[in-house]
Amino acid sequence: MGVTVVQNFPITENRTGPSTIELLTKRISALGAIQQGHFLVDCETYTSVPQLGNPRTVHILHNSEQPATVFSILETENKTIPLATDGLFDLLMIKMANFYTSKKQTKAESKGPRYEIGDFLVKLGTVTVSQNFKGVLVEVEYRPCVVPAMCWELMREFLQGFLGSTAQSAPPLYLQNRMQDIYSPIDTIHQYLEQFTIYRKAPGLRT
Amino acid sequence: MTSPGSAVDSLSAAIKCNIIPNQEYLLQGSVLDQYVEVLLHRLRGLCDNVDSGPESFNDHELCFTLRGNTPNSSMVLPLRVRRALDVPDAPWQLRYVGQHELGDKNRPTAVRSSIDMACSSTIVEFLTELGCRVDFEYIARGYMFRKGRMKITVSKIFKMGSMASKPNESVEPISQSYLVELSVLAPSGQDAIAEDMRIFAEQLKPLVQLEKIDYKRLAHIQ
Repeated sequence: MGVTVVQNFPITENRTGPSTIELLTKRISALGAIQQGHFLVDCETYTSVPQLGNPRTVHILHNSEQPATVFSILETENKTIPLATDGLFDLLMIKMANFYTSKKQTKAESKGPRYEIGDFLVKLGTVTVSQNFKGVLVEVEYRPCVVPAMCWELMREFLQGFLGSTAQSAPPLYLQNRMQDIYSPIDTIHQYLEQFTIYRKAPGLRT
Repeated sequence: MTSPGSAVDSLSAAIKCNIIPNQEYLLQGSVLDQYVEVLLHRLRGLCDNVDSGPESFNDHELCFTLRGNTPNSSMVLPLRVRRALDVPDAPWQLRYVGQHELGDKNRPTAVRSSIDMACSSTIVEFLTELGCRVDFEYIARGYMFRKGRMKITVSKIFKMGSMASKPNESVEPISQSYLVELSVLAPSGQDAIAEDMRIFAEQLKPLVQLEKIDYKRLAHIQ
């Protein structure tokens, strides 16, 4: 487990989702990356019923990189609380159906091929929100390091190497306040949630 | 190379195959402090972990409920959180325990549905902000034995009291006895295990009488 950066890859007017993934696949393969399976990150959002008082939101996320874990992020008016549990937490959410209901139209996921290239892990994700194609998310992990500040420059250079000018010059918003902290899988989940929230709000494709 | 299925799909498949241990078969009893050594000695002889001896534990358990804030709301979800005080780095435990079902006379043990999982230490804050309230909490100290799939715990229950403010102070036991529990967590429908438990409980008599406890009856005593 290293440091991970998740960023949107804008889809230009003359391209579709699959052709964008194909383009990125070509570029990353040219650099010597080898495909190692697929990946899937999904997110379901539940909101509290009125009888529970102040509105709260629970986001339940799964990441195929940590297949035995369910990640939850609870958002209240002024707090965000992360939780990692075993897979049976999904069963508990069913028990909570009287208190927390899911907004079916918001099920978001990012899935696609997973590549290894030296110390990096690259995932090219096709993002859908309730089955509608929304855009492309690129995840890059630099595995030998766990402190973002110590490898961000290197990661940025790597990202620019295959994303070109669309690579972000600043770290993801979520990471900016945590550059000196030890990175853990929940940090990747936070970044995905941040991205999914933007995709959900976007009326059509995110460019 | 196949794509990974969604976690929810694999969970539904696991439910369909009935491989999720979501039923707890349970027998309970108690033994007075002065006789606990005799019981422990007997258990040491009967159980699997003979060489290593029984495993001791010192756990803090918080019992939460999630309920609507309208009066007489029938929607209630009980949740329990347990953590090992003696192993601070161990994951915390989150557990849903359903209605205690006694069944008819022929059923050897009580059965209750149970969803048991490890979780991160943010669980208490998570549940509190989720809308859960702490009903009560206690400390359980004792020994755990294994016999095949069966788990036997002999625990002393302590009041929390001033533990939070004075962590080093000794805590107060709630009674002069130990709680003895014999349980198995299994997928539903494995009723044969209940019979094994009945036979094992027989072997502990007369040191301890393990029974299906009717909680409703206890409520009347109070």
